[in-house]
Amino acid sequence: MTSESDAVVREQLVAYRRDPRMVLQILRKLQLAQNHIKATDIDIVAESLNLPRTKIHALIDFYSFLHNTPRGDYDIYFSDSITDHMLGSRASAAALCKELGVEPGIPDKDGLATVDFTSCTGLCERGPGVLVNGIAIDRVDVGRAREMAALIRAGTPLEDWPLEWFVINDAIRRKGPLLNMTVRRGSAIERAIELGADGVIAELEAAGLRGCGGAGFPTHRKWDICRSAGAGERYVICNADEGEPGTFKDRALLNCEGCNVIEGMTVCGITIGAQKGFIYLRHEYEFLRERLERRLQRRRDSGKLGRNICGHHGINFDIEIVMGAGSYVCGEESALIESLEGKRGIPRIRPPFPVTHGYRGFPTVVNNVETFAYAAGIAADGPGFFKQDDAQRGWKLVSISGDCRSPGIYEMPVGTTVGETLQACGAVDVQAIQVGGPGGTLLAAHETDRELSFDDTNTGGSFMIFDHSRDMLDVAQNFTDFFAHESCGFCTPCRVGTKLMANMAEKIAAGHGARLDIEQMQRVHKLMTQASHCGLGQSAAVPILTTYEKFPEAFRQRMDDVEYKPAFDVEAAIERSRQIVAEEA
Amino acid sequence: MTGRIRIDGQSIPFAQGQTVMQAAEDAGVAIPHLCYHPDYEANGSCKMCTCKIDGRQVSSCTTPAADGMVVVSNTEELNSERRALAQMLFIEGNHHCPSCEHSGNCVLQDQAYKLGMTALIFPNFTAGRETDASHPDILLNRDRCIYCELCVRASRDTDGKDLFCITGRSHNKGLAINSDTGLLKDSGLSVDDAAANVCPVGCIIKKRQAFTKPIGQRDYDKRQVHRNKISPSTLPELAKEPGEKISVATCSLAGCFGCHMSFLDIDERIVELVDHIEFDRSPINDIKTCSAEVDIGLVEGGVCNTENIETLREFRRSCKVLIAVGACAMSGGVPALRNSVDVRELLEESYIDGVGVENPQIPTDDELPHILENVSPIHEVVKVDFFLPGCPPPADAFWQILNDIVEGRAPDLPYDLTYYD
Repeated sequence: MTSESDAVVREQLVAYRRDPRMVLQILRKLQLAQNHIKATDIDIVAESLNLPRTKIHALIDFYSFLHNTPRGDYDIYFSDSITDHMLGSRASAAALCKELGVEPGIPDKDGLATVDFTSCTGLCERGPGVLVNGIAIDRVDVGRAREMAALIRAGTPLEDWPLEWFVINDAIRRKGPLLNMTVRRGSAIERAIELGADGVIAELEAAGLRGCGGAGFPTHRKWDICRSAGAGERYVICNADEGEPGTFKDRALLNCEGCNVIEGMTVCGITIGAQKGFIYLRHEYEFLRERLERRLQRRRDSGKLGRNICGHHGINFDIEIVMGAGSYVCGEESALIESLEGKRGIPRIRPPFPVTHGYRGFPTVVNNVETFAYAAGIAADGPGFFKQDDAQRGWKLVSISGDCRSPGIYEMPVGTTVGETLQACGAVDVQAIQVGGPGGTLLAAHETDRELSFDDTNTGGSFMIFDHSRDMLDVAQNFTDFFAHESCGFCTPCRVGTKLMANMAEKIAAGHGARLDIEQMQRVHKLMTQASHCGLGQSAAVPILTTYEKFPEAFRQRMDDVEYKPAFDVEAAIERSRQIVAEEA
Repeated sequence: MTGRIRIDGQSIPFAQGQTVMQAAEDAGVAIPHLCYHPDYEANGSCKMCTCKIDGRQVSSCTTPAADGMVVVSNTEELNSERRALAQMLFIEGNHHCPSCEHSGNCVLQDQAYKLGMTALIFPNFTAGRETDASHPDILLNRDRCIYCELCVRASRDTDGKDLFCITGRSHNKGLAINSDTGLLKDSGLSVDDAAANVCPVGCIIKKRQAFTKPIGQRDYDKRQVHRNKISPSTLPELAKEPGEKISVATCSLAGCFGCHMSFLDIDERIVELVDHIEFDRSPINDIKTCSAEVDIGLVEGGVCNTENIETLREFRRSCKVLIAVGACAMSGGVPALRNSVDVRELLEESYIDGVGVENPQIPTDDELPHILENVSPIHEVVKVDFFLPGCPPPADAFWQILNDIVEGRAPDLPYDLTYYD
C-alpha cells in the first residue's frame, strides 16, 4: 500500500463526509484519478464506510465506467449508439486501435491506453462521440482519431490537447418558449413564493405540463402528492441521466443558463417543502459539471440557493450534483434513487412510488431536466408560458439525429407531425424513424401523419432518422444488444430474455435465421413484455420484432424460407481439436 | 386492511398487510414461485408468481392484497409463461439434473415438473462460473445459481452475517462471498446457518450429505398433485395404410446407452409393441444405417464429436419425427460437464495422464472424429420434434409416447412420468 494512493482515497472520503451513500461518488473519483479502483483502496473505503467489501465489488461490477483492473492512462470510450455507428465510430475506433496497437477493451502492455465502447454518449448530432478520461470529445472521425493517437503516443496531457475538441456546441435549430427564455435570476422563485404552493400547483395544472422524460405523468400531481405525503423531509431530484440513445436535449438545457433548470428545481423545493435537491448527472456529462457547480455557487452567493432564499426567512433549499457511473437503467426514477443512495441501480418494487417513498424513504419528486425548465417558465410567467389556450398542447424538445441535413435540438409544439419534423430537419430519402429511443416506436417513411405526443408517438426526446442506405436489421441488432448490455439483471425475463434476443438477432444477422427463430422471439417478447420488472425488460424485445413487422425485407435478405436452421458452426467447434492434432502430429 | 380476494374463482381471506402470495399460501392455494419464502421479505425477481391481478400482470409476492381483488393464476397462458421462465433459468445456468446432488429436492425442478416442462428449447448459455469448494462442509456451485437472493436475505436477516452479495449486471451477474479472500472457507458460514439451508436449487449444498437420502425418495420424487394442463402439440402426419407398421430408428450419440436399456425395460410389452412398430436402424437389431424413410427417430445422447453430427444429420434426414431421448440429448447432460474444461486438458487427461494409460499419446489419425469444443444438446444441431426427458426416461415413458404415436396422438408425457434425473 503506497502512501500516495492512500492520500487520494482519504481525500475523497473526507470530501464526501464519509457518507456511505456517497460510496459511488468516491469510487468514481478513484477510477478517474488512478484509472482503476485499487484493491487496497477498496479495503480502505469498505472499512471507512463500514460496508462489506463485496458491496464495493458489486458496485464496480454494476457500473460500466468502474473497473478493478487497470485501464490505460488514456481511457477512451467510443459511443456504440447507432447514430454514432452511422457517422463512422467503428472505423474511427479501429483506426485508433491500429495506431496504438491495442485490442478493444484491453490496455496495451505499457498501460498507455484503453480503447473501448460504451452506450450512447449523448453527442448524437455531432458524433462520433468519444470520452477520454471521462471528458467528451465530438466529431471523432478517422482523421481526428489518428491525431488523438499521436497525442497519446507522445504522452501529451489532456489539458494540452486541442481546446476546440472539447467545446461541445449545442446545435439548437428551432426555438420555442423554453429555448428563447432569458435568465430568471429569482423571478420564478419570487412569483412561486407569492403564489404559494397551491398557486404553483394550480398553474402547472392549468399549463398541463407532463413529465418530459417520456412517462408523461402530470407534473402538478407529482408535486401535489409529494407535498401532501406524510410529515418530515422531502427531496427534489433532477434526472439528468440522459441515457436514451438519440437523446441530447438535456445536455443542451444544462449547458444553457437561460433555461433555468436550477430555478425550476428551487421552485419545486419551495412548493413541496424540500430543503435539498440533487442533480443526478450522467457520467458522460462530466464536461458540464464544473459549469453547473459554478452556476450553483453564483446562485448561493446571490441568495437564490441556500438559507433564506431571496431574503425569505425560513425558505431554505440547496442543490448537490451527484454523478452516475455508467448505467442506462438508472434513468428509471427508482433505480436512480438507489444509485443516489450508493447502491446498484436496480429499480425498486413499485408501489410505493418515489413520490411518497423516495430518497432515503422520504417523499421525493424526480423530474426530468426539461420538466424543471418548463416549470421555471410557468412559475415565472404563468401557464401561458407553456400554452396560450386550450387549442395548444404545450411544447416538447426533440433531439434529432441520424440521416438529415440539420441534426440538433428542436423545440416543437406537442402534436407536431412526423412529416413536419422531417421537413424541419431536412431529411430526404427517409426509410425509417425511431421515435423515443430503442424501446420506442419504429415508423416507416409513409407514417408522416403520426404526431409527436403522449397520445400517439411518445418520445422523451429521441428522434433518429434512417435513410435507404441503412440496413434496418443492423439498427435493430444495435438496439437489442444495447438492452442486453444495460439490463440490470434483477428479474429472470429481462436478464435471460435480453441475452436470448441478442443471440437470436445475431443468428439471423449471420444468415442462420429461420421461421422458428422468429416464433421463438415472439414468444420471448411476449413473456418479457408481460413479466419484466421494469420498462427496460418490457420494451427490450420491441425493436427487433417491430423491425420484422415493418421491414421484413431486412430479414428476408438474410433468411432462407425454412422452418429450422441451426446456429451450430461445426468448423468453429472443431477448431481447437484440429489445432491440438496439428501440434501433436 | 383485511378482507377477501378471489383467486381463480375461489374466495380467500387475507390479513392486514398480507400480499396476494401470503394470503394464497395461508389458504393453501399454490401459486408457483422460486424466490419467495415465507420467512423473508419478498424479492420479486424470479417472476414465477406472476398473476393477472385486476387485469394486470404483476408479481403476487409483492402485490398487497386488497379487498375484492380478482387474481387469475392457474391458466394455460400464465403457466406457459412460467414454463418459459423455468426454461430460461435452466439454460442460463448449468442445470444438469442427473449430475446434481440436489436433484429431487430442487424447487426449480419441481416447479418445472408441475408446469409440464418437457423440453429445453432455448440454446444453452453454457455458464462457466467459478465453483467454490474451499469450505470444509459447504459447496458453492455457482453454475446452478438462479439469483433468487434467498441466501443473501437469510444471511443478512436471519444469521446477521451478511455473507452473500449479488454482483454485476445483466447476464453477467454473480454471487460473491463477503470474506477477505472472497472464499467461502474464510466467510464464517456455518452448516447450521439459515443461509446454508435455504438454497432452493443445488447451488449451496452440504458436503458429504448429498446422497443420504437416495434419489427416488426425495421431496419432489413423490407425485402427489397433478401438473397443470398444457396444450398438446401436433403430431406430423405419418399416413399409414391399414395394418402398416410404424418404423422406428434409435441411436446413441454421446450417451451411456442407459436410455436404450430403460427402453428395453418395457420387458414383455415389446412383443405387443412390435405388432405396431418395426425397428429400422438401431443397436437393438444391429442395423447400421437408416432406411430412406423412417417414421420415428429416437436419439439418445448429446453431440460431442463430428461423428455424432453425421449420425444425427442422417437421422434427421431419414426420420419424419425426431425425438430427443434423455437428459444428454436434451441438454448435453453428464458429458456436458466437460464444457468448462479446455479440450487439450481433456485429451491429456484421457490419453496421457489417465490412470493405466500405456503408450501415452494424443491420437491424431485422420480417420478419427474430432471432438467438439462443447457437448451440445441435439436441438442445437437439428430440428427436434419432441423431447422425452429423464436419466434415463422410465420404461413406462417410452411405452406411453410410442403408444401415443401409434394411436396418432402427439406425445404428451404425464406428470408422473416426467423426470429429469
